[in-house]
Amino acid sequence: MGIQEQYRNEAASLLSSGEVKLVIGFGAGSTADRRRPLFACTAAEAEQFVLDSACIANLSAYLVTEGLLTDGKKVAVYLKPDGLRSINILIAEAQLKPEQVVILGYAIENGEVKPLTGRSIGDFTDLGDRIRATTPPPAVVQEAERIDAMSSDERFAFWKEQFSKCIKCYACRQVCPMCYCRRCIVDVNQPQWISTSSHTLGNFEWNLVRAFHLAGRCAACGACDRACPVNIPLRLINYRMGKEVRDAFDYCAGENSGQKPVLASYSQDDSETFIL
Amino acid sequence: MTRILLKSRLDDCLASWQSAGFSVLAPVQRHEMSTFGEVQKASDISLDLVLTERTIKDHFFPQTEPLIRYKIGRQQIDSVTMTPPERKRVFFGVRPCDASGLAIDDPLFGWDYKDDYWFRRRENSVIITIACTQADDFCMCTSVKLSPDSTKGADVMLRPLANGSGWQVETISERGKALLDTVSSLIQEESSETAPPPEVAEKFDVGKVMEWLADKKNFESQFWKDIALRCVGCGSCTFLCPTCHCFDIQDEGDTYQGIRRKNWDSCSFALFTMHTSGHNPRNTQSTRWRQRIMHKFNYYQGKFGVNSCSGCGRCTRQCPVDMGITETLQAITNLPR
Amino acid sequence: MSEPFEPKIVAFVCTYCTYAGADLAGTSRLKYAPNVRIVRLPCTGRISPMFILKALQKGADAVLVSGCHPGDCHFSAGNYHARRRWTVFRALLSFTGIPDERIRFSWISAAEGAKFAELINEITEDTRKLGPFEQYQELQKVIETQSSY
Repeated sequence: MGIQEQYRNEAASLLSSGEVKLVIGFGAGSTADRRRPLFACTAAEAEQFVLDSACIANLSAYLVTEGLLTDGKKVAVYLKPDGLRSINILIAEAQLKPEQVVILGYAIENGEVKPLTGRSIGDFTDLGDRIRATTPPPAVVQEAERIDAMSSDERFAFWKEQFSKCIKCYACRQVCPMCYCRRCIVDVNQPQWISTSSHTLGNFEWNLVRAFHLAGRCAACGACDRACPVNIPLRLINYRMGKEVRDAFDYCAGENSGQKPVLASYSQDDSETFIL
Repeated sequence: MTRILLKSRLDDCLASWQSAGFSVLAPVQRHEMSTFGEVQKASDISLDLVLTERTIKDHFFPQTEPLIRYKIGRQQIDSVTMTPPERKRVFFGVRPCDASGLAIDDPLFGWDYKDDYWFRRRENSVIITIACTQADDFCMCTSVKLSPDSTKGADVMLRPLANGSGWQVETISERGKALLDTVSSLIQEESSETAPPPEVAEKFDVGKVMEWLADKKNFESQFWKDIALRCVGCGSCTFLCPTCHCFDIQDEGDTYQGIRRKNWDSCSFALFTMHTSGHNPRNTQSTRWRQRIMHKFNYYQGKFGVNSCSGCGRCTRQCPVDMGITETLQAITNLPR
Repeated sequence: MSEPFEPKIVAFVCTYCTYAGADLAGTSRLKYAPNVRIVRLPCTGRISPMFILKALQKGADAVLVSGCHPGDCHFSAGNYHARRRWTVFRALLSFTGIPDERIRFSWISAAEGAKFAELINEITEDTRKLGPFEQYQELQKVIETQSSY
């Protein structure tokens, strides 16, 4: 039995036994190559779940929907390792209770989907090693290095061009599991720290601050990059911040749910080469 | 007698319009996106796209627009109204869905207040629509009773010739006629077969949809909660829609001076209807999604006699979670009555 | 334009060390460039990257952020948190093309009046040579003009 069938049955049984009130997975999309998030509350609805190598979205973002988990009941969700990472980060930041999340874990390797053993986040003890061992896509690394090698003026020109496209749709924020603030900084208007207008300056400020707020918290799932309707290379910025945090503090977000958030902790030995 | 414009004469056409003081805007690839941008010559134009990713709405209703520059003095407030640039523009190669989007929004911007920012730009612009010869899976113009060769919103209509050498030319409005008169030597009286428009199958029954929406008891239907579960509440669909027109007024500046701006806003945003008291009448994504559909196919219809949708399909094409209105309207069409 | 360029420097400093150090510079009658505008916070731990961005948006040509030496924070650990934050924020600014010379960080204690004066003078002169932060300020100017559409 393929993994799609196996997980459909698993989802159906979790629902009919009443162990979970909802399963979040994938369904067929509006075209043959698309998949969409699918929500099932009954065993019959679970028949529509699909699972193949096109199922790449990070569904953990739905777990922080306001009011979803306040009734104390459980939700099951299809997750890849980046999704598991997100769960760990959300638990570490007190946004999720581990016992409320039942995991249907899978990994996509060489175009094939393989199941990951484990039902609750605590079962994935090798996640830390897996994260540290995962190499980011070479295209991303190369592009980031290319930018690093530019002069400051060239970098500014590059990002000015990219951010001039931004339309402030906030798709990047809305699909990100880590952007769960009930009132985002850009929506704070007393005072208005970040301009809500989508002129280049306002776009610069928004994208910079979002990248900063994700530093050391990003699970590198790529949801923001895929969601952006104007093709801003958000993966570059978030990758570069993740790299900085890893290099400077030997910290990788989401290895386990007990990690202290990197900017909420410190070491007396943190480096400070740039401080006069 | 029908008239045609050959592709080989397009450069001369553009040059003619440019020397008459028009900026010519056409589909281009800019910063890895297809949009409408200023072009100098015919080879700059991307004529083979189904449609551009961004709409021409940007050029009539910019995503951010300064309205007033103000300075608060001791006794008075000094303000200067900021106006759109006085630019004559030709939009070449607009798709029927985008052109009809402008026509759909005209009654709104002239409804209870004449929005000069919109109309000045409309009056200074000539829309040259090119009929579609291809469609993709997301196109749904026929479902909203438009078509791949609709002339709605066009000043001039071009229909691609079957032999690919140019377009059949049809004058639609006075403004279009005035523009074509400036290049009359480049247009030939000739008959040539036009390429057939693509088959765009109807994806939903808009009449049935409107009927269901008009029935008040469906307002609180469980349908809305179920259909909107995966919507994440971003503004992609709104901002890439040729007809969406909501905006927010924002003052940007210091305590004593600044600029008042008009910025795009989206009813999908959680804070769109947040009151100062803290009460939010649409505080769930399903109520916001319902608003979107009701506005486009019920409220707007009631006020202006037309649905606020041109069937371009960008909402689904660009949605990060593959939503968009097509699926919802199909589901409503298929609901048991 | 007849006036020579005078850099605008904004300094975000903590109350108990750097501000006191600046005060000492004053009471010791040490001369330092009048180009600096000092903003006093209780602790560097309070300094948000928003402040730095806002200063740049409002026309600062350079920003200094300064506080107590590690181990000497009046609130015990504020500057440790700040240090981490600055490491990350600095990398972000650098990656997006905001030159390192425009944003500086320092530890200046309450006894280091001379260091404060010298640092302000140094930053002012360096920024005078660098010139106004035109790239950023140009973005601001564009906003204040008519729409380009």
